Amino acid sequence: MKITDIIVRAGRSLKQAKARTLLTSLAIGVGAFTIVLSLAVGAGGRDYASTIITSNTNPQELFVQPKPDPNNDPKKPQKYTEGPVVNYGNYIAKLLSQDDVDKIAKIDGVASATPIYAASIKYINIEGKDKYQASVRVFRSGVKLEYIAGNSDGIDNNGIIITDNYLEAFGFNSANDAIGKKIQIAVDSGIIMSNEIAVKTFDFNIIGVIKSSTFAASPISGMQISKDNIKAIYDYNMQGTPMFDKYEGVLALANDGKDVKVVKDAINNAGYEAQTAEDLMSFIFQFINVLQAILIGFGILAVLTSVFGIINTQYISVLERTQQIGLMKALGMRRRDVGRLFKLEAAWIGFLGGAIGAGLAIIAGTITNPFISKALNIGDVKLIVFEPVSVIAVVIGLIIISVVSGILPARKAAKLNPIEALRTE
Amino acid sequence: MIEVKKLIKTYGKKDNALNAVDDVSFVIPTGTSVAILGKSGSGKSTLMHIMSGLDKPTTGEVIIDGKNISKLSQKDVDKFRSEKMSFIFQSFFVQAKESCYDNVSLPLEIADVSVSRRKKMIIEALAAVDLTEKIKALAKELSGGQKQRLAVARAIVNSPKILFADEPTGNLDSVTGGLVEDLLFDYSRKNNVTLIVVTHDSDLANRCEAQVHLKDGKIESIKGLK
Repeated sequence: MKITDIIVRAGRSLKQAKARTLLTSLAIGVGAFTIVLSLAVGAGGRDYASTIITSNTNPQELFVQPKPDPNNDPKKPQKYTEGPVVNYGNYIAKLLSQDDVDKIAKIDGVASATPIYAASIKYINIEGKDKYQASVRVFRSGVKLEYIAGNSDGIDNNGIIITDNYLEAFGFNSANDAIGKKIQIAVDSGIIMSNEIAVKTFDFNIIGVIKSSTFAASPISGMQISKDNIKAIYDYNMQGTPMFDKYEGVLALANDGKDVKVVKDAINNAGYEAQTAEDLMSFIFQFINVLQAILIGFGILAVLTSVFGIINTQYISVLERTQQIGLMKALGMRRRDVGRLFKLEAAWIGFLGGAIGAGLAIIAGTITNPFISKALNIGDVKLIVFEPVSVIAVVIGLIIISVVSGILPARKAAKLNPIEALRTE
Repeated sequence: MIEVKKLIKTYGKKDNALNAVDDVSFVIPTGTSVAILGKSGSGKSTLMHIMSGLDKPTTGEVIIDGKNISKLSQKDVDKFRSEKMSFIFQSFFVQAKESCYDNVSLPLEIADVSVSRRKKMIIEALAAVDLTEKIKALAKELSGGQKQRLAVARAIVNSPKILFADEPTGNLDSVTGGLVEDLLFDYSRKNNVTLIVVTHDSDLANRCEAQVHLKDGKIESIKGLK
């Protein structure tokens, strides 16, 4: 018997039991829905994370932190060490100093090393307007910024790049209106004299306006000024405090064309802990992957449950159609073909369930995407991304699972004795 | 030509052993219509099953046109049945939810007849049983007589050499039953097809050219055959 004839006959007998077919495939559909949706969320999450990370980091950049003494037992009290320390769950490490920065800068393959200046500013304002809180960060040329107006030209000449959420507060009508305007940053002095804190203001020219990011951790979330400017602010702000010249981290830049992993090993061998942009990324990906795996796990559980549904439905179908099977065998239909007929019916159920589940998932995802994007305030970015390849793979996978579940009932049908089946009561 | 040689079919073992068919031999020339008669339990159905290759004899053999079908593999006997034999049953066994066309198409699909040839054969078979107008109708919409005619169309569509009819008129009134009988005998005569009718209806049996009477698995009397 031709396989096409068997497929058509399989489809027809399912059509004759519409309600049963639909209910059985809906069970798989639940699994398909969950799996397709979680794959889409995972894909969207990874897409989003990687766009954020690649636009906010330079792949040649390394984040260097002090390394805790590996011989220290964190369960025991720690001995006092001179100078400020950082404490990672009782793993004590000395903060980095300018000496360390210089040492890192000299490591083979490192182009430059810049400490992360933890400067805090008092306020930011435009003459005659209200004062506002703000944070400033160092401008890094390797990081792509989303400019609404202007650019980074003149950053080394007391230029500042502001975020668009301040435009209204400063009374600018548009982003272009802000370009070229003067802005002041006021900083507290670290040295306290006669109970009074001295305040110094630093003047900047607005050279660019960028979109503000919802992620506070992102380097593009704050105002950006040059490294020299931020050092000047830091020096004024921290000099005289015990935290002066003590850094929790250093940004090292590997030479162009140099393998960033080799540089990372070199820095680690020098007694520091370096992480590449990729390392930082992999943590986020790992988080997304674990989340996705849990969701897929639920989907697989649903599929597993539906397997018993298919077996049950197909067994009932074999019992109901005993005479039909007997007739087909009497007419010379081979065992193998009878088995195939029932396996293909199971395949149809799997296909139907997969298609229904995937279809509903795509509809649900497409409908909810704008709401999710709005709720998370991530603009036009889609957090649920359906990849055709993975959707098709899920449907094919479910067809295969269904066929496998159909094996036992199919075998029962194939083994049926036509004489018994055709006995008239 | 069908040669039945010393067929024995035993059910059960040792003390409980029962010969459902006990030392049955006869020869049916091609194109003959034969009635196998007997009360229920006489072994007539078992004999038909063995002659059609649905069942295997305990000993003895069935040779059809020189081929010993009792020795064929399952695969070969299935193929033989799909190409050379056909069945009509007392309870029709038509697929209620399928159209007449699809019902008649089944033996052609099983026998691997190419798609292009099927349509003509199905239309001809339905015309032969006067069901041309019902070609698209579902089998469940047919009356009892029409259902059995549909079963006849299904039986003759692939031009079989041997037609087995198991109580073909058992579920029909005498008028519609007579119509189905006419169809079967006409077809057998015109196409030189061997017709084997299993029945306990003596009127139907008398329309056949030969009669084999079974009792307790043994041949009680035989008429018209060597």
